[in-house]
Amino acid sequence: MFQRDLGETGKRLFRDFPVLRTLWESGRKRGVAELVETVRKAEEFKRNYALPKALELDRRMEEEPEYFDWEIMRQACRYRFLSIFIPKQLGGTAAEFMVANTSLLMDELCSGCSGMALAIGAHSLGVAPLVTSGAMGHWDRVLGEIVEGERKLQPVTMAYAITEPSAGTDVEEPEFLEVAKLSLEARKVEGGYLLNGRKCFISGGSEAKYITVCAALDKSRPLETWTTFLVERDMKGFSSPRVELKMGQRASHAAELLFEDVFVPDSHVLGYEGDGMANGILMIMAASRGPVGAIATGIARGAFEHFLRWAKTKRNGKRPIDEDRIRMNLADMWAMIQENRGLYMSNALLGDCIFKKVLFAPVMVLTLSLPAIFRTNKLTNDFLNSRYGKAMVNAIMRYYIKDEDITQLLETASLAKFSCSDNAMELCSRALNLMGPDDSEERRWVEKCYRDAKLTQIYEGTNQLNRLVVNNVRFEETLKVEIPRPFKKGVVA
Amino acid sequence: MIAIPWSKESKQYAVLRSNANNFAASELAPLADELENTVDSPLFWKVVEKAGNMGMMAALLPEKLGGEGVDPYSLCVALEECAVESAGFAAALLFHNAALVPLVYTDRKDLVEEFTSGKPLATTATSGSLKLEGERLSGKATFVFNVLEGCPVLVFPESPAGQEVVYVKTDYPGVSVKRDPYPLGWRVSAFASLDLSGAEPYFALKEFQREAKMATERVLYLGLAAISVGIARKSFEKAYAYARQRYQGGKIIIEHQAMRMMLARMLCGIEEGKAAIRRACEVEELAPAIMAWRRAGSNACQAAMDGVQIHGGYGYMRDYGMERLMRDAKYCQMFPAPEEEGLLKILDMVEERG
Repeated sequence: MFQRDLGETGKRLFRDFPVLRTLWESGRKRGVAELVETVRKAEEFKRNYALPKALELDRRMEEEPEYFDWEIMRQACRYRFLSIFIPKQLGGTAAEFMVANTSLLMDELCSGCSGMALAIGAHSLGVAPLVTSGAMGHWDRVLGEIVEGERKLQPVTMAYAITEPSAGTDVEEPEFLEVAKLSLEARKVEGGYLLNGRKCFISGGSEAKYITVCAALDKSRPLETWTTFLVERDMKGFSSPRVELKMGQRASHAAELLFEDVFVPDSHVLGYEGDGMANGILMIMAASRGPVGAIATGIARGAFEHFLRWAKTKRNGKRPIDEDRIRMNLADMWAMIQENRGLYMSNALLGDCIFKKVLFAPVMVLTLSLPAIFRTNKLTNDFLNSRYGKAMVNAIMRYYIKDEDITQLLETASLAKFSCSDNAMELCSRALNLMGPDDSEERRWVEKCYRDAKLTQIYEGTNQLNRLVVNNVRFEETLKVEIPRPFKKGVVA
Repeated sequence: MIAIPWSKESKQYAVLRSNANNFAASELAPLADELENTVDSPLFWKVVEKAGNMGMMAALLPEKLGGEGVDPYSLCVALEECAVESAGFAAALLFHNAALVPLVYTDRKDLVEEFTSGKPLATTATSGSLKLEGERLSGKATFVFNVLEGCPVLVFPESPAGQEVVYVKTDYPGVSVKRDPYPLGWRVSAFASLDLSGAEPYFALKEFQREAKMATERVLYLGLAAISVGIARKSFEKAYAYARQRYQGGKIIIEHQAMRMMLARMLCGIEEGKAAIRRACEVEELAPAIMAWRRAGSNACQAAMDGVQIHGGYGYMRDYGMERLMRDAKYCQMFPAPEEEGLLKILDMVEERG
């Protein structure tokens, strides 16, 4: 394979991300080619779908907040964006550099429309706990259905539900969870659990067929009893009664989820009872905060591209870019974007080093390569969902992934998240200040980017929390993630 | 609600502030959300009428022209108080009042009566590019608020003779209105751009054009600075109230230092903005007004963004009222000119003065 085979997209990516060229020239050609292909597809999505529709959709969602454009998800199916976390043996498209792939995808999509990107990304966030918990008993059925939906262009999506009305930041950090005021509670009953309470602001929650839900078994001891469940939309007592009218990223819904005596069988516990903070939150945050940095970067780049077009367009006989101050601002903005890319990409490649060990471990490859019937027959399924089955998967995971790996990943992810989102906000704000009261389509785009960017400072833990995480991991060493131990209940982080 | 304690004003302004505050609290606050969602509604005109009764519709014009004859600081006080409840409404009042400023250089009481008779409001268009040639206006006026049918628009076209000060009406032949129902902020008033091709002026100032333009711009900059302070105050009020009731990390969030830092920064921003406006009102020059606008606008944007951040997810959702402040604040910073152009103008004017 030659560099020229990567086309214009490859040329651009090598220029924007010199680290990819380094990887290519050190022999990781297949992995890099996969990344380039993902970005190429994302560019096509952006060109053909996002840019022509984003502003119109944003306005429509303001008038009809409940409207959801399923065409976004059908297009995502066409490009196979819904299975980027699903191993190839199960029909998915998980790349060799899975986290980098996700980050680059988000960056590219968000430079077109971050609302559409969020609709797609929130689905992957929902898939993540199912994959990282090693809940193989569900993989063939749920992940298989997602892959099948992609093939038929009938999207099947997931969502990830952690935020509660009185606990946003609290449910994303162990020290805070201990004292959180929770709404949702899971009560153990025979054969499963009864879930009662509410979740709020759940991206994609009103469309998802499967939702990974974190809940405490005992609200007075949330950290010890925090558990991840797989909830299915058609479970009795589950509903999503309301969606919010957001300031930005409107193409994706933020939904309220209501649980009224929702019975979730034992088999739908992902991981162990009580390992929800390590397995269900911190591991996911370590993998997803970096891509949120990429979302912010994509929004910033979108704003930058519109601003650059504006700067090069003649107004009253002169181009703004002919002025030094505009040229210098453009350079500053580009510096912010490149700084962001450095941060999120170093986090992503670290994540890939870590997750690759387990996803491409011989035992995993062998297990996933067997015909589905070996995993889906009742005997195997019961075993995989049993304590012993989970312990086995857990032992494999612990063998390959070390606590300090995930802890470091969490630190770099949190750093990328707050830094990229702050830069994105600054860039969009500055672009608007420079454009001023100009009647141009570009200004309308940058206004949208400005609204969209603000959310990246809030979700996946506010930037204040992320700063504390960096401090707690790096400087005080008070936050360490522990991969759940086999047979151990109430594993904390 | 917490009182912000330091600003001391003379009795005259304190009384005015109190009256404007009562008006904003009783008339604007209950309708602020509704006004935001419907342009040109009967509700809007009801509030405009009441603002007129309070003397806010021709505040700066001398009494002999039928105005209130107040100084710019008084208008700033009224706008700031209105902006606490509805920055969009305050902006509508500002554009209307600014549009009347050139009439000070005339004896056209009839025009004042016409422009202040109620619907539609007058407005000021400072952006875009317009030419006046052979008594005909051509070009484009952008970022114009208050645009309804028959609305008198104050524009500043270039002509072979220099800078002109002209009123044009939106229902005149040759004027085409391009509406945009989705501006980022100030949703209360109708937002549009105007394409003019050979439009006849409704009225053109024959002398003191330069002075009239500068006086109008000064009022705009000062008024926007005042609206910015109003937005920053509301951001502080909402964020402070929320921080005192929201529980996070084992305590109410006002006990977290990061929150206290943001709230304290808002207070500094409010005081800085107020002080800059007071100073700028003392001299009849444009440069200090631009300085006040830059300081207050930037502080308002920061305050509103921090307010959204303190509210977390709730701040981002329309139902909770915080995101509107962030959108409105940004227009205070972008209008009436790009921020850096305003900055450069300051140096130009200082150099001009020698």
